Amino acid sequence: MVSDSVQLGDVALSAKQGRPLWRIASLAGLFAAEVLLISARTPHDALRDAPGLPGLIFSLGAWKVRLLVTLAVIGLLFWQARGKRNLDRISEPPAGAGLAWSWLLAHLSAILLFAGLTFILFVNRPQGAGADFLVVGWIATGVAAIVLAAFAFLPPAFWREALRGTGDVWAYILVLGVGACALAAYATPIWSPLARWTLRLAWVLLRPFVPGLTADPSHMTFGTHSFSVEVAPACSGYEGIGLILAFTTGWLWFFRREWRFPRALLLLPLGVATIWVFNAMRVAGLVLIGVAGAPEIALQGFHSHAGWIAFNIVALGTCLAARRIPWLSIAGGGTAIAERSEPNPVAPYLMPFLGILAAGMVAGLASSNGFEWLYVLRVAAAAAALWYFRDRYRALDWRVGWPAVALGGLVFVIWIALEPLAGSVRTGPPLALTSAPAVARMAWLAFRIIGAVITVPLAEELAFRGFLLRRLVSADFESVVWRTFAWTPFLISSIGFGLLHGDRWLAGSIAGMIYAFAVMRRGKIGEAVAAHAVTNALLAIYVLVTGNWQLW
Amino acid sequence: MKHSLIKTAGMILLGIGVASLSLAQIAPAPEIDPASGINAIALLSGAVLLIRGRKR
Repeated sequence: MVSDSVQLGDVALSAKQGRPLWRIASLAGLFAAEVLLISARTPHDALRDAPGLPGLIFSLGAWKVRLLVTLAVIGLLFWQARGKRNLDRISEPPAGAGLAWSWLLAHLSAILLFAGLTFILFVNRPQGAGADFLVVGWIATGVAAIVLAAFAFLPPAFWREALRGTGDVWAYILVLGVGACALAAYATPIWSPLARWTLRLAWVLLRPFVPGLTADPSHMTFGTHSFSVEVAPACSGYEGIGLILAFTTGWLWFFRREWRFPRALLLLPLGVATIWVFNAMRVAGLVLIGVAGAPEIALQGFHSHAGWIAFNIVALGTCLAARRIPWLSIAGGGTAIAERSEPNPVAPYLMPFLGILAAGMVAGLASSNGFEWLYVLRVAAAAAALWYFRDRYRALDWRVGWPAVALGGLVFVIWIALEPLAGSVRTGPPLALTSAPAVARMAWLAFRIIGAVITVPLAEELAFRGFLLRRLVSADFESVVWRTFAWTPFLISSIGFGLLHGDRWLAGSIAGMIYAFAVMRRGKIGEAVAAHAVTNALLAIYVLVTGNWQLW
Repeated sequence: MKHSLIKTAGMILLGIGVASLSLAQIAPAPEIDPASGINAIALLSGAVLLIRGRKR
């Protein structure tokens, strides 16, 4: 990848503009923008309970997304196994003479028609046989728009070659993807027995500590006279089990040369059993907090975050611990100990950001009504990591110029301009904050501003521009010149940054691109940090002055 | 290099994919809350990159 990028003056351009990856990224960007524009004005609930095909479309709802994502994940795993050589092969020759404008015009016509049909289907809501025909036309137009756009960015010969090159892999992906979704749907009957065992274990765990604890297996309720919960089938632990299976399988697959098979496969049942026990502990903890007098925290913050925290602990703990066991891992024992004695080059760049994320999850445990009283933990975690690695940061260029300030202001303007796309509703300051004593209110605000303007920009820029942007150029990321530009790292790191901002992913992605431009323009991490800090400072002022607290 | 890139992208995509699967739940998901999913997956992906960071 280093050879794919060049540095030209202030702004460098990629030598790979004509290659498929760049074209595919553009195609994905076009689709994302179109879907966003069309779906932003579509009342998705309009087809609820509608008869015929429109109703079927609504009932498929989440399954469409679920199937697509499952296909993507399984496809990626197969691609890694059998399609990589083909990716190399089809990436080498020039992919056509450039953008095919005739195909693109045809695509735009199709997408306009699709948008029109979407409006008729969801807003006018026709009834009877006409509605069924409309749905068929709507699907056909959508598929045509996708195919035409694919041909606009990459010639039909490329797609033929890609299909031929991956042979029967496509069939496997389809069968496995559809099979996985169907399995998930038909596995629902096992949730209830699993929930019963979860209830039993949670009761055993909590009984010594809570007097008057009762469990009613017939109604699946559990607690005391003052606070009790229903252990629904969805609380049984199957979600955590699914996540652990996916993560451990991916980990074993991607790093398969480091494991001793078939012994390493034991990690799968071990992970499943551990996460299930953790889920029972989560249910027990929830009841304990509720009985102790904090039902809001139990049902909100703890309920929402404990599952993810357990998943992270089990996933990382299992794999990390297993790597040190020579019986399971080829890299275990001596090699792992030798690794630990050397400084980790990645740690200074990622630890502040990971500290913020981890502290955010812990602070989320104690949140209620969506308000995070313990925001200070995020600031403290990032500050501690930044202080710990302070010597390693001395080698970085922290100088800042005025253009960085202007770029930060530009991001702020874009952020506010794109806010309507996020679909957020204007909200005032949280009730928990306004009803708090003045000292607590001012302390919270002070840490919130320090976090937004100092620790968050430092941590996020070190992680996304300092590490990820350069890591995607070369494994030896520290040797990558800061001004190096390549499209793929630029887009992946920026979109990754955008995804972290939830509904504001588009604004976040554009912000990521501008901060990446800031760091590459003069080769200084300080420029990106300053731009980011200016954006966040302006946002903080905007929130406090206008009362648009949904932005925080 | 391309191998490492695909490997890293694969892990990130796998993580995001699993998070998206959770986001696509039809019923409310009491055990795993979609709202905090992106941060949790980011934390996990970052930790994986950190663990793998020692290897060159």
